[in-house]
Amino acid sequence: MNVVVCVKQVPDTESAIKVKPDGSGIIKDDLKYVMNPYDEYGIEEALRIKEKFGGVVTILCMGPGRAVETIRTGLAMGADQAVQLDDPAFEGGDAFATAKTLAEALKGIEYDLIFCGKQAIDDDLAQVGASLAELLRLPQVSLIQKLEIADDKKSATVHRQVEGGIEILKVSLPAVLTTQKGLNEPRYASLPGIMKAKKKPLDVKNLAALGLSSDSVGCAGSKSIITKYTPPPPRAAGKIIEGEGPQETVPKLVKLLREEAKMI
Amino acid sequence: MNVAGYTIMGIPNFVLLSIVIIAALVFFVNRVKYLYIILRIGKEDNRFKEIGKRIKITLKRILLQICVLKDVRVGDLAGLGHAMIFYGFLCFAFSYIFMFGRGFIPGLSFHLLGASFAGYFPLILDIAALMVMIAIVWALLRRYVVRPPRLETTREAVIILGIIFFLMVFHFLMEGFEINIDSHETATLAFVGAAFAGFFNNMGFEKTTQEALFIASWWIHVLLVLGFMVLIPYSKHLHLILAPFNIFFKSLGPKGALMPILNMEEAETFGVSNIEEFTWKQLLDLYTCAECGRCEINCPAHLSEKPLSPRHLIHDLKVHLLEKGSNLLRSKNGGDGKTETGEAAEGYEGKSLIGDVVSEDKIWSCVTCGSCMEQCPVSNEHVDKIVDMRRYLVLMESKFPSEVQAVFRNMENNSNPWGIGWATRGDWAKDLGVKIMSEDSNVDILYWVGCAGSFDERNKKISTSLVNIFNKAGVNFGILGAEEKCCGDSARRIGNEYLFQMLAAETIEILKNYNVKKIVTQCPHCFNTLKNEYPQFGGEFEVLHYTEFITELIAEGKLKLTKPINKTISYHDSCYLGRYNTIYDAPRKILKSIPGVKLVEMLRNKAKSICCGAGGGRMWMEEHLGKRINEMRLQDALDVNPDLISTVCPYCLTMFEDAIKEKDVQESLKSKDIAELVEEAME
Repeated sequence: MNVVVCVKQVPDTESAIKVKPDGSGIIKDDLKYVMNPYDEYGIEEALRIKEKFGGVVTILCMGPGRAVETIRTGLAMGADQAVQLDDPAFEGGDAFATAKTLAEALKGIEYDLIFCGKQAIDDDLAQVGASLAELLRLPQVSLIQKLEIADDKKSATVHRQVEGGIEILKVSLPAVLTTQKGLNEPRYASLPGIMKAKKKPLDVKNLAALGLSSDSVGCAGSKSIITKYTPPPPRAAGKIIEGEGPQETVPKLVKLLREEAKMI
Repeated sequence: MNVAGYTIMGIPNFVLLSIVIIAALVFFVNRVKYLYIILRIGKEDNRFKEIGKRIKITLKRILLQICVLKDVRVGDLAGLGHAMIFYGFLCFAFSYIFMFGRGFIPGLSFHLLGASFAGYFPLILDIAALMVMIAIVWALLRRYVVRPPRLETTREAVIILGIIFFLMVFHFLMEGFEINIDSHETATLAFVGAAFAGFFNNMGFEKTTQEALFIASWWIHVLLVLGFMVLIPYSKHLHLILAPFNIFFKSLGPKGALMPILNMEEAETFGVSNIEEFTWKQLLDLYTCAECGRCEINCPAHLSEKPLSPRHLIHDLKVHLLEKGSNLLRSKNGGDGKTETGEAAEGYEGKSLIGDVVSEDKIWSCVTCGSCMEQCPVSNEHVDKIVDMRRYLVLMESKFPSEVQAVFRNMENNSNPWGIGWATRGDWAKDLGVKIMSEDSNVDILYWVGCAGSFDERNKKISTSLVNIFNKAGVNFGILGAEEKCCGDSARRIGNEYLFQMLAAETIEILKNYNVKKIVTQCPHCFNTLKNEYPQFGGEFEVLHYTEFITELIAEGKLKLTKPINKTISYHDSCYLGRYNTIYDAPRKILKSIPGVKLVEMLRNKAKSICCGAGGGRMWMEEHLGKRINEMRLQDALDVNPDLISTVCPYCLTMFEDAIKEKDVQESLKSKDIAELVEEAME
């Protein structure tokens, strides 16, 4: 079974995100980039499928030069090859433009299954997986937590958590599945894996290679445009209510909760 | 008496003696050769440099018996017994030249070395024999009556002790008979032998009977000695032969430095998952172990009822080595001992090293505190074996306690184990007016804060104390701020050599760029890594732990501790400052220079101190097995009833504070870093 995992490079969750003074974007100088954590579940699941059924695991990543590091991380985990989509024209795209670009790239890759993280932790849009399925005219199941491929590899049973229980679905393959925490525990790359990753094939494709026009990708090809970023209001310091015993402090707390926090 | 010429059934003694000696030697040499060939399946390791220094260490440890005497204290005097047997045996080993010699050369006696030697040596031998016998009885009493926890009674030990005991008995018998036979030598100083001689005469033995009995005693004596020789290489008493070699070949590098994996880019396997992947020296350790158990009774993992015992680890590895080794040799048709590692792994379908011989739980139980190595009389090196197996698990198999994965990721992404944003590393010092190297690198001292001092709330307070102390003493210092990274101690000790070498290379480059000469660290782990391990990668800097630096400041009069702290304080030795770097005095000196402080020592202190439980990367792992090490150590402190337990290591402090909360003794015991006490006491 050949599996494609779509991967995005995102700022580390611990990075301090600073908004540019004019609100046109974020300051990227001090950012440390990592693989989108939800995509890691996809890679891990793909590797487990490969270990069971054989096949090729391909990483598909749209991102600038620095994204190579993230791609190599995936290759070190055990993926076989990677395609990087890198062109200035791709920048600033929304979920639709991204999905369109990925869909185009997928035309050149053999696959029986496509994984996307349920969402990227930077923009939290959670739309690329769904859009990609639509563009490829494939069935899709989002937020999966368990996957069983049928022996004939023509279909799969997936579990997804819904409020109050688990929804079990059967989906025909190929399909797009978006991966959620709980699906597996992504592995830590072994050192031989890291060394091998340096030699694994990485195919970098630009706009021309995909044969797309510049107005159909990136910002130009987007259906939605980010007009402004504003930082969240700074969090106020916590308050310690002082007083002798609960008789004194509880009424104070109630008063504050009602009047200041407007919670009750 | 002419032993050589005595005939038994018409065969001269020297012929018979030649036959038994040759037979014994064949057994002995065969076994030793076999052990040697198996040893050589290990990897290469050059331990032949600095021969002079090695000889000196070996002589000191063996001849002066420092190896066991350093350990002697009330409650465990076994080292004394060992020294008694050792010195006694040395005398006898010398006398055996004569004993065997006279089987060939008629008339050979101590007179060969002069009259006074012949006069006094029998006295020395008698005293030695008595000394050995006392020690043996004592050793047996220990094994069967006292039964200290570190000793496991084995039949082998009893046989060996019995042989030695009877060697002494037959010495006296021989001596007694001989005094009567060669009656011209009446005035002997050998008082025990003389007493036996008197006894035999009183029994009314004829001279010819006594001659026959002498020859019989001589023969039994000879056979016991040869039997002993043959037995040695089959038993844990192999240490008689190998301890000097093992000590000679011991690592001469800094105690706190693990060996690097070289050529990581080219190597195909990392760490050890097959016994033959250890170096020959690591295998020699296994042969040499005398199973004395000193390692075990000082091992925090064992004491807290975890599956690891350093003694059993070594023993299990030895059994496995002999089993697998003989299999490998057989499959090589008795090969020449130069078995290649790759080939060696084939043809053996027995136990796996990791899993069957040493469980993963054992491998992860180690806190790398180094106490086993410190206590080991034959200088075995345990920790590097455990780290080698961890290296295999981490680098090859990505197998480690699940909580560690986040730690690795955090070190990779944010250069600290907590995973807090790397850019905020210097934030703790924002309002303290501390120089940041990137803004002003004109400093005398680089203050290396470490991850805990930068990110952990409790330990940030200690960083602040140190800043205040340095300022008070007028030290021109700076910090790296956001450019500082984890030193990699935990990564390395967990087995992630790759991550460690990456972190080390990055830091060394930064330090070199700023032309840093002198570094003062807050954390003993950073201290050990920067001082002892970075030179492996070209990072040569003068590195001090802050306790050393503050001791200097006090001595130079730059820092005056005048405000009294009227408290009883105990000091907990950090393994990486104490055992690994032999800095026991500096922290104590600081405490003693604070007016009002009453320093009380815990029972286990200095070289015998017990780890807080956080070393070897255990800081980042859950403690699922056995009891909690930090609570065990807290009990040590509670036993001497101090007001305050002082530490010099962020891990130790964290472990103590956790234990104090867990045991709910906050009222009676507080924990503080020595830096906080210095800040409090300075004028």
